[in-house]
Amino acid sequence: MAKIRRRGQTGQAKNYVTRSQAVKKLQISLPDFRKLCIWKGIYPREPRNKRKVTKSVTASTTFYYTKDIQYLLHEPLLAKFREQKVLEKKISKALGRGDNSDAARWERNAARPEATGKPRYTLNHVIRERYPTFIDAVRDLDDCLSMLFLFANLPSTSAVPAKMIARCERLCLEFQHYLIVSNNLRKSFLSIKGIYYQANIQGEDVLWLVPYKFNQRIVGDVDFRIMGTFVEFYMTLLSFVNYRLFTSIGIKYPPKFDQLKDEQGAELGAFSLEGVNIATDGDEMKAITNGESQHGPDPKVQAAVDKIVKQLKADNAKGEKSTEVAEAADEEEGEQASDSIDKFEPVAPGGDVLPQPTQGSGNVSQLFDKFTVYLSRETPRQPLEFLLRAFGCRRIGWDSVLGEGSFTADESDPSITHQIVDRPVVQAVNGTEDNGEDNQTSQKIAQNQRYPGRIYVQPQWVWDCVNNEELESPELYAPGAGLPPHLSPFVKTANGQYDPTLPLDAQETEAEALDSKMEDDAENANDEEQEQSDEDVANDMDVDSANDDESEVSEVDAEEFGGVSDDDVEEDEEEAAILQRQREVEAELSGKSVKSKSADAKTKSKLEQKKVLEKKAREEAEDLERAKGMLSKKKRKLFEQMQYSNKKKSTEDTMLRAKRRKLEKEQKKARATLA
Amino acid sequence: MPVLKPLSGNPERPQQYKQPSRKGKKAWRKNVDVSDVVKGLEEVNEQIIKGGVIAEKESAQLFTLDLVGDAALPKKFPKHIKKGLKADEIIAARSAVAAVPMRKRSGDKTTDGILPVKRLKTDYVTHKELTRLKKVADGRHESTIEVVDADHDAWAVVEESEEKKEMFAFLPKIEKAKAPKTMHRKPITLAANGKFVPAIPKPKAGHSYNPAFEDYRDRLIEESDKVVAVERKRIADLEAERVKLEASIKSAAEAEAVEARADMSEWEEDSAWEGFESGGEELVGKAKRPGRKTQAQRNKIKRRKEEERKVKHGAIIKKKQQQSERIKQIALEVAEAERAMELAKVVLDDEEEEGNDEELRRRQLGKFRLPEKDLELVLPDELQDSLRLLKPEGDLLKDRYRNMLVRGKLESRRRLPFRKQANVKITEKWTYKDFKLD
Repeated sequence: MAKIRRRGQTGQAKNYVTRSQAVKKLQISLPDFRKLCIWKGIYPREPRNKRKVTKSVTASTTFYYTKDIQYLLHEPLLAKFREQKVLEKKISKALGRGDNSDAARWERNAARPEATGKPRYTLNHVIRERYPTFIDAVRDLDDCLSMLFLFANLPSTSAVPAKMIARCERLCLEFQHYLIVSNNLRKSFLSIKGIYYQANIQGEDVLWLVPYKFNQRIVGDVDFRIMGTFVEFYMTLLSFVNYRLFTSIGIKYPPKFDQLKDEQGAELGAFSLEGVNIATDGDEMKAITNGESQHGPDPKVQAAVDKIVKQLKADNAKGEKSTEVAEAADEEEGEQASDSIDKFEPVAPGGDVLPQPTQGSGNVSQLFDKFTVYLSRETPRQPLEFLLRAFGCRRIGWDSVLGEGSFTADESDPSITHQIVDRPVVQAVNGTEDNGEDNQTSQKIAQNQRYPGRIYVQPQWVWDCVNNEELESPELYAPGAGLPPHLSPFVKTANGQYDPTLPLDAQETEAEALDSKMEDDAENANDEEQEQSDEDVANDMDVDSANDDESEVSEVDAEEFGGVSDDDVEEDEEEAAILQRQREVEAELSGKSVKSKSADAKTKSKLEQKKVLEKKAREEAEDLERAKGMLSKKKRKLFEQMQYSNKKKSTEDTMLRAKRRKLEKEQKKARATLA
Repeated sequence: MPVLKPLSGNPERPQQYKQPSRKGKKAWRKNVDVSDVVKGLEEVNEQIIKGGVIAEKESAQLFTLDLVGDAALPKKFPKHIKKGLKADEIIAARSAVAAVPMRKRSGDKTTDGILPVKRLKTDYVTHKELTRLKKVADGRHESTIEVVDADHDAWAVVEESEEKKEMFAFLPKIEKAKAPKTMHRKPITLAANGKFVPAIPKPKAGHSYNPAFEDYRDRLIEESDKVVAVERKRIADLEAERVKLEASIKSAAEAEAVEARADMSEWEEDSAWEGFESGGEELVGKAKRPGRKTQAQRNKIKRRKEEERKVKHGAIIKKKQQQSERIKQIALEVAEAERAMELAKVVLDDEEEEGNDEELRRRQLGKFRLPEKDLELVLPDELQDSLRLLKPEGDLLKDRYRNMLVRGKLESRRRLPFRKQANVKITEKWTYKDFKLD
């Protein structure tokens, strides 16, 4: 017989503890416990059976793993919490006695570790513990960045001290500097909530959300103590991540920060980056200089040189650093090697020519390289500046209202190539704008009047250029023009879904392609006929549309009754025959010969292809039907729902594509007639 | 020879001690107790023998003044007997300099002519500082940790130098506590499908500030359907509540009516004649012997039957009406179910990839339910295609907080703006109201 065990000695009762038990065990207060859990990454858990853990359990009891709590006992931060508790007691005792100066002294000394001999407590050790590798940290950067960017934009209150906000802002700006230098920013999206950014850091996609400026309300139902605890942790994390990122591209961390410039609202311009150059001992500065004073070498070349110098030094002097540097160098080399895109080569000689992946048109990271951009007063400066700089723009000017650090605050600067405006076009002025002579001669440029020789665009142009990795035509984004929709670059288009950005051939299904080709053929034939006689244009068009309708009907039929009717093939044949007959009759009526046989053969082969496709689709549908029979009732229903909605969507998509096809055709025709 | 014996018996006179006086008739017969008088006399005799009556002597004859004291005592108890008095000692120790006055402001204005030196108070604590200290003592301090700029690579491989290793080879290696495996388990997600919820969900096309028409329309319809469903449910709940209340009122009224009828049972038999029989009370009268009915009786029966028929007809018509209404209701329900199915489809589609932070599971962490997600939707009349005119929707702060909760990093909490206070019962004093009108 198995040994009889007492209740509460094994299993769930042993593996879990309630929160109050944990607090009692650690001998700290509940808020402190909460903080510790957030910093150490200890989350509430859920036992399979709550009753088995403790008898006195309510629905809201929170549980933790016993082992986690046991491990917390080793935490040095725990000592800090206890010290704090002792200090509180001392202070309250002194205050109670009326010895205010004593209380003040206790408090003052506690903040000076050099005076008390007690260690400084930071979260540095927790970072490595929670993220054993750098990649782990990068993966968790989404939350960190969103939180810090959010706090950087909050107004300071008693709950959120100004110091914390300033620090958040600094860290965020540093991170932005890294992205600018390394050209790692990939996408950005203007949503109704805020601005999304996506960067690629060491192969990991990092997505974060930045609020619009001056939009944050402080609401009551957010616990700022908890948020503050998270922010404290994330500040430490981002600081370390920044250190690693900066050193990986050969820049000294922390970068030099100009307090005066920051107070004048320079933001990104308040930092000046310094290369970790051993040979010149960091003499060379790399501030954001707006291009005019940038005589330094190319950052990449600089980094390479730095590396070589480092290696030389490492060889000469043996030390602890040598391995590290070499490792870093190795890593970088590996990254550089992986940067180039693989080429697809046919396996056998004479195989298909495979489409080669390209890195976009030209160098995406230098998209705005040649431009000098001026931001008008009403545009959001921070995101635009960051985005433009991250994609290669070096000369950005803005109105002095928007802060310090612009390339030029003078709107009339002749070197400006692009101006970003977001002002409505006033109608009254619009009329006078037509006589451009007046504008140029007038001394002061009035509202709604333009400088010649530069392109005016709305802010969305920048975002769309970045997301499409090419320069969009600025006419679409001219001030006052109805902007094209701003599409989310994060939406994954499902198979067969209509995508307005792709060309038609890339997204239409085989059946659709065949249909369109057949239509084209018919039209071509019609055109030929048209050349022969221009009389029966209207008639032809009618036929065309009739054909269209028929083909659509047949498609829908095939989709709806797929798998049910077996004599579809015969029907199709009949249809083809009917079509043929109809054409003959029409030809007779219009007094022309029937189309040549070659064309007939073409259509025939296409019809056959279509038949094959339909047969395939039918078979697939049958298979699905069979598989559906094996599902449980509930799942079958779910599946049917899904199928229904998918079908609805796909019909919508085909309709959209058909619409576009028609439009394109008309355009082509118009162009042909013009030519 | 006769034996010489001492005088037998008490030589003194017989005494009656309990009788101190001779007041009263009977007391005359007894002797009075005079023993204390005798005693006194004897004492006086003795004093006279010893040299005179003490009471008549002067005090100088009786006492002498000892000014020297016992010389043997200090030798006997050297520890216990001190040289002088404590008071003398204290007085002797007093400094010749005047004592520092205890008062802050001396009562009299007389001074010694020397101006006192003003000293700066170095240990003065300002009021602001004091309130801060009080807060700290209350456990509300700024932060327990310091956030400093990173000065090293946290992920660099740290290798100890060989020399150091050799130097401390004799020391036992310190084993660090290993983190348990449970630490690395993922937190519980609160998503209904139990899937991982990302920190920042990928924004959909409908969230754009300048969305494509189809995307915006789809999202608008989806959101409005949701709101309508909620409103429908609310109305249905209200209706159900109302029906329930009505039913309870009705049943109470019926019960009352039954009672009333029971009270007036005598009269009810009459009403039965009129054609209305109540089910409440059975007529257990004696069976009447069948006999020939009079014309009047026949007419009465006819009347009654007619009445009954009418009542029946009315009931049937009423029922039909109710049924037709019910049909409408069923149609509504079906439509709603269809709508719900449509909604379900939408969910099914995006369920594939990752958790959805809008639909949460029933069981949540902590005492309070999660806050609802804000509706992040720009209404059609507010939709602008200019970035400048955009009115941002949603609250990022709330969003972040909720996201943490949904990802199971915390248990949900609610801010308590005020501490729970003791219940105070307020009563009025009535005594002053006890007055009379003349």
